[in-house]
Amino acid sequence: MWETHHARDEALAFADVWNVAGPVLLDESGDYAAALGITGVPTNVLVDARGIVRAVGAVTPAELEQAVADLLKEQT
Amino acid sequence: MVAAPRLGAGPEAVAVDSTARRAYVACSRDNAVVSVDLDQFAPVWRAEAGKEPIPIVLDLPSGRLFTADARSDTVTVLNADSAARVVQLHIGQGAYPAGLGHDPERRRIFCGNTAAGTITAIDADRLEVIGTIPAELGAGSIAVDSERGHGYCANFMAGSLTVFDTETLRPLGRITVGEGPCKTIADPRADQLYVAGSLHGTVLRLSLATARPLGEIRVERAPVGMCVTPDGSRLYVCNRGAGTVSVVDTATGSETHRITVGNGPGDCGIDAASGRLLVSNAGSGTLTMVDAPWLPGAAKPPTHPAVGRPIPQFALPDARTGEIRTTREWAEKRYVIDFFASW
Repeated sequence: MWETHHARDEALAFADVWNVAGPVLLDESGDYAAALGITGVPTNVLVDARGIVRAVGAVTPAELEQAVADLLKEQT
Repeated sequence: MVAAPRLGAGPEAVAVDSTARRAYVACSRDNAVVSVDLDQFAPVWRAEAGKEPIPIVLDLPSGRLFTADARSDTVTVLNADSAARVVQLHIGQGAYPAGLGHDPERRRIFCGNTAAGTITAIDADRLEVIGTIPAELGAGSIAVDSERGHGYCANFMAGSLTVFDTETLRPLGRITVGEGPCKTIADPRADQLYVAGSLHGTVLRLSLATARPLGEIRVERAPVGMCVTPDGSRLYVCNRGAGTVSVVDTATGSETHRITVGNGPGDCGIDAASGRLLVSNAGSGTLTMVDAPWLPGAAKPPTHPAVGRPIPQFALPDARTGEIRTTREWAEKRYVIDFFASW
């Protein structure tokens, strides 16, 4: 979570409201977002088993589903 | 781009007074409003608002600014010239006021209350609450067609618009618009109502006269803010997820190009005197001023530069446990990182 003010409280409240169950990591400085060239939220980054970034963006349900399906298909 | 002055944390929305050469920006994370000189590109004053002001409206006849302060359940009223606080109105505990609408003809301000699912009507001169209109969950952004005296409140969670009479404050109906309506603006001269759907990256166009859909415009990730030029020929759409603004030709209903702005653009306005586009960037804390925004600039590469490269290493604290988590834990796994923020 890219959050600069009261990061932990904001992140936990946000995760609670939106039922985010997975690990929530805090990027308080925004440095990690900058390292990846992320310019807004929400943005999804798909990473393959070799640690290579395969997609950036893909935030609509249809886009995300397609991106994940493509990646899974390629790996099997 | 002409300038991008840094204003503070979480600039979410901007109001423009071209005659006075001022822009006014609601900085949600600083609980403040900042006034910016449009010619010097520099802040002029900063005034305290309530907690987390998100939208801002300038009422030109009274020279007053209104902010809806989501986390203090207030509407703060400031003198736009002096920055003095005029009054702070309490909207109702837990209401989470997150959107504003303005009917200058009838001297009314409307406040969309996200958690309460209601619209609060405020007399813009007497600065009193004069009524509450039922809406739906996620009530926020409000567009007003002053010519017909109709208001349209976008209900984010309900996927609808609540239509109401801005004079009598009576509900007039409901329009289903699909998931995640986040921002709505009206252009009565062009008979257009625009509704940004942030979840699907689209802007829906409807006829104000008939309430019928006219078409859908595909933009970029998470459109959350919009403004239309004074002549109605162009629509600018802030894509919060992409750090861009989509420029739409309203005659054809299609996107002509995109402008790269700051991180997480929240909303935008036009300086009618210069034609410049002003964009408040919630993520980078800046106000981007774009000269001649109707002209295409350098195109973004079709593929994000990170694609095809190794993921940068991270070592970041877990919000729940405080434990430092690293890239190594996810080695040899396929995974998705979802960047999100509460701003």
